[in-house]
Formats: sequence, C-alpha cells, structure tokens
Amino acid sequence: MSQDSYRPSFNLSRVDASVAQPVRLFFASAFLWLVLASMIAVITAIQLKDVSFLGGCSLTTYGRLKALESNLFTYGWLTNALFAINLWLMSSLTRFELKNAWLANVGGVVWNLTLTYGAYQILMGKMNGFSLLEMPKEVALASWLGFLLAALWPAVAFSRRPTGHVYVSQWYILGSTLVFPITFALTQLLVLWCPAQGVLQALVHSWYYQNLHLLWFASSAIAAVYYFIPKESGRTVAAYYLSTIGFWTFFLFASWTGPATLLGSPLPLWVQSVGVVAALLMLIPFAILAIHFLGTLSWNRGISQSWNNTTLRFVLVAIFALILWGLLFAVSSTRGFNAVIRFTAFTVGLEHLLSYTFVSFVIFGAAYFILPKITGLLWLSPKLVHLHFWSCAIATVSLLIITLGGGWQQGSGLRADWPSALFPTFLLLIGHIAFVINAWGMLCSKLSSGYKPTHA
Amino acid sequence: MTDHPHSPNQSRRPSSGDAHSASDSQLVEVHSHLARDKEEPREGFSLLPIVVVFVFCGFGFWAGLYLTRNAAGFSSSAFDLNAPREVANDGPKAFEPDLAKGEKLYLQQCASCHQANGLGVPGAFPPLAGSPWVQGNEERIIKIALAGIAGEIEVKGNKYNGNMPNIGAGLKDAQLANIISYVRSAWGNHSDPVMDTKVAEVRKAIGSRGQYSPKEILEQHPLETK
Repeated sequence: MSQDSYRPSFNLSRVDASVAQPVRLFFASAFLWLVLASMIAVITAIQLKDVSFLGGCSLTTYGRLKALESNLFTYGWLTNALFAINLWLMSSLTRFELKNAWLANVGGVVWNLTLTYGAYQILMGKMNGFSLLEMPKEVALASWLGFLLAALWPAVAFSRRPTGHVYVSQWYILGSTLVFPITFALTQLLVLWCPAQGVLQALVHSWYYQNLHLLWFASSAIAAVYYFIPKESGRTVAAYYLSTIGFWTFFLFASWTGPATLLGSPLPLWVQSVGVVAALLMLIPFAILAIHFLGTLSWNRGISQSWNNTTLRFVLVAIFALILWGLLFAVSSTRGFNAVIRFTAFTVGLEHLLSYTFVSFVIFGAAYFILPKITGLLWLSPKLVHLHFWSCAIATVSLLIITLGGGWQQGSGLRADWPSALFPTFLLLIGHIAFVINAWGMLCSKLSSGYKPTHA
Repeated sequence: MTDHPHSPNQSRRPSSGDAHSASDSQLVEVHSHLARDKEEPREGFSLLPIVVVFVFCGFGFWAGLYLTRNAAGFSSSAFDLNAPREVANDGPKAFEPDLAKGEKLYLQQCASCHQANGLGVPGAFPPLAGSPWVQGNEERIIKIALAGIAGEIEVKGNKYNGNMPNIGAGLKDAQLANIISYVRSAWGNHSDPVMDTKVAEVRKAIGSRGQYSPKEILEQHPLETK
C-alpha cells in the first residue's frame, strides 16, 4: 500500500453522523455472523464428503449445522447488513437526521439476541421443519419487534423527506421494509402458531421463502444498485422512465412465484400454473433492471471504468448474477425443465446465485462505500480488498458451476450423489475473513481514539 | 472505488461527507427530470425500451393463454397436468338422482297441471300420486315426458281426455331424471329412481316424434298394476 493513499480521518456529514452508530452496530454484527456462517459452511461441506466428520456429537451433526448455517447467513449476515444499508441509503437520499439512534440500536440488539437464542435452540435440536423458519416460535414476537425497531427507520425517513422526486432506490427500500414484517407475521401465524391445513401450510411457506428472498433481500439490494451506479459512474440511469413499471411488476409478481418452487406437489393444478406464470412474468422487471443497470454501464467503456472502482466491481458481478438468476428461475419454472432439476443441487445453486452472488456482493460493494463515510476512515489494506474480491468471485463462480451443472447431471441421470463444494466453500471463508479483518479494523480503530492506521 | 489507492477516478469523488449529501440531492434532481421527460429521439437513440414494452404485452397475452390451458378449470381437485382433461370432463362425477332438485323442477315444470300434491285436477289432469303410469317400468314415464301424450287415458279408474305437450324434450337428461325420480318416490309412490343415462338412451331411441297415444304406450309398456 502506497503512502499517499493514507489520508487523515475527515469529518462526517450531519446525516451520516446521525446514523453512524446503528449502521456500525448492524455492520459489525453482520460481519460476525458472516464469518461464523462461513466457518460452519466449511464443516457441512466436509460432512457432505465424509459423513462421519464431527458426527460423534449430536450438536455437530449435519442436520443441525446446515440449518444453523442458513439461518445465520440469512438472518445474521444478510438481514443485519441490509438494515445498515437501507438506513444509510434512505437517510442520505432524504437528508434525514436520525434523532432516535438508540431505538434503532435497541432493535439491532434485540434482533441479534433472538437470533443467538434461536441458533442455540437449533443446535439443541429444537427446530421446526420449515426451511428458514427453524427457529422456535417463542422468539418470533421478539425478533419481529426487533425487526420493526431496526428496519423501519427508512420508512420514517421517507415520511419526512423533502418534497420532490422520489428516487427509485427509495421505492425499493420502502417496499422491502414494509413487506417483510407483514410476511413474517402472517407466516408465523399460518405455519407455526395456528397451522393452516394440509398443503396450504407448504404454500404459505413457499410464499414466505420467495418474499424473504425477492422482496426483502433482492429488493433492498436492487435499491443499493440503483444508488451506486449513478453515484459511482456519474451517469444517469438509462431509460429511467421504465423504473415505475419495473418496480410494480417486481412487487406484483415476486410474491406469486412461491408455487413455482412446488411444481409436482399436491397443490391444485391452477395454483402451480399461477406460480409458473408469475415466474415467467418476472422476466418483465428483470428485463427492465437489465436495461437500467447494463444499459447505464455499457456505453462509453463504462464496464471497464466500473471494474476499476471497488464498489462498482462488486456491483457489476452482482448485476450479472441478478440477470442470470432471473433467466434461470424463469427457465427452471417451466414444467419440463423443473421435472429434471427438482430436488437437485440445481435449486441450491439458484439460491446461492440470488442470496450470495447477487445480494451479498451488493452488500460488499455497499460496505466498501459506506464504511468510510460513517467512520471517517479509509480501508486499511487494499491487498485484503483484492484478496476478498478474487477469492469470493472465484469461489462463487466455481460453486455455481458445481451446483448448477452437478444438479443438472443429478436430475437428468437420476444420480443420488451430491456434488462436493468443499473447495469453493473454503475459498469463501478466506475471502470473508480478509473482508472482515479490513472492516473490523475500521470499526474498531474509531473506538480506540487516537489510533491511526499504519502501513506496511 | 471510494478509497482504493489505484482508483483512476478517485479525485472526482468528493471526500467530505457534506459534499456527498449535496451530490445525493443532485442525483435525485437529475432523475426527477428523466422520470418526467422521456429521452428525445436523437442519433443513437435506442429503440430497445419501446420494443420491450411490446414484448411485455406479448408476455401478458401468453400468461392468459397458459393459465386457461393449464389450470384444469381452476378446479381444487385437479393436481396433475397429465390428467386434467379426465378430471375436468368428469364434471358431475357419477349421476346421483337429486330429489330436492327434482322437486324444484317439478314445481316449475309440472305442478301447474298435476299440482304440487301430485293429485292433478279431477276431470282435467290425471293424478301422479299412486298412479301406475308413473311407476314400474321407467321407460313408460320417460317416453311420455319426452314426447307428450294425447288422447283418452284412464288413470286410477277415472277417464281423462288430455293433451300433454313434450315438456321433457326441452330439459336436460339429468334434470328430467331428477324430476322423474322425484315423481316416482313422492306422495306414497315408491319406485326406483331414474338415471340420466337411461333418459339419454330413451331420448335417442324414440328420436324426434309426435305425442304418444295412450294405446301406443300401453302396447309397448303395459301397466304392471291397475
């Protein structure tokens, strides 16, 4: 790292200073959960090759660790990080100064405590049989309140915005923060507290699963992409007037795609067909997103320009992941294709593509942008940034090839063996540790005042 | 990259937080114009966004087609794409004579002459209650209902000179089967119900024809009891 890259810390803007505390809390806890989840992911990847690995103790059996990993990743890493990004983005765009930062802090603490308790219960084997609803239902009310306290500030910021145009990022953030608590509450009621009868339970769960991934994770991440592209490239969004159609079709069709993940199940045929139609109609918002993102970046060497910008480099990978996901999801929801990939690693690959290669990469890019703004410091080591990007990029691409290709082979050849993803999972852990060392260095150096980053 | 030392455009980026807030409002301001005014046609103007809007309409059209073809009539009991046609066309599965529907239809179609109590009108319309004409062999009453009957007829010892039109010809098989099943079980009558397939069979056998005379009917189906 060259000496001239070092600059002394600068003053925060009033808006940034008002949200700095909760944003740092959310980011710090998100990074913690990310490292934990990636460590457990390595163990579960080994267990898929060698069943007996750590199998002697019931705490560390595959079933519990796998559930723990996915819960920590979604509710620990993704959700905490999106709390931070949504809050920072919305207050920046509306020039909102957060007066009650302590309330947001309380929300973050409650959310993370309930997650810790839920994770403990999962390890003890007390879990529900619904993917991403494994945590015991007693904690649901607390985590719901925690979510409201932590996540609803963008809505408050929005309601106090200066009059004028509402930028598309704000729509997506507002939509996602309002949709998730409703979805979560209804799903807890209909799946766990007073379970709906028969197949309706599975239908509600699929609705929750799609809403969680598309309307909370993806929607928040799309908001961030809409912000960082014009912000970092200095261009305006191409064909911006299409954004209204894109937004409404995205929110309209996304929550109908649940049955498309349940094709071939004993759901009434028309429900399944509605899911298929919704999955294919999702191509409409995805086409608009592709026009906006790639159309903005593609002309006048924009891609290579973005490649030289840390935030945009991550965002660029994420954009391709999002578009690929939209295409693959539509194709894999057609009945013929779905019959092959159902129950295979292909579905795991699709989920990885959305929640990791898209959402997590956007979060990484956003963190590289936001953390300096709210700490007033620079990233400690560019080498670690490169290590982070390349190990995660290589890992995620090879993981996608392994799961999508391997899943297709499983389905078409009716083979039972699960493709091994040990190498990319390990590579992800390395990348995440590199990222988190860099980020925590930043978050902690502010706390111990007087500390200035030193250079090798 | 905001803080990457090798970033070529680093100098362009404001480093102080307040300047960045200002540029956020610029970002919103610029896009507010873009949302209001579409791009003017110019050299290099892309037709793509307009084309995709038409493609989207095509998507919507396809979605409607797909749903009508693959929803099995929105039935809650059809689950499999490969078997929807059977399930859908099974419709009312096996016919069950419905006496309540039969009674309702009787009151609409028959009761003006034969009366709600099935006793008819003395001297004008013969009774159905206890009448041997409606009981026993079901083909007799089906034929009378389908084609009508005219001429001097003796029912339960009384003579009538009636003219019954072919009311049954305008009813569906299942409807007529329900009415006849009702007539054959009400007011102390107790004969077996009639199936819609039987009505369809008789309807096909007699074809399109004029009213029966009582004599012709009795030749084909003599009364079992007096």
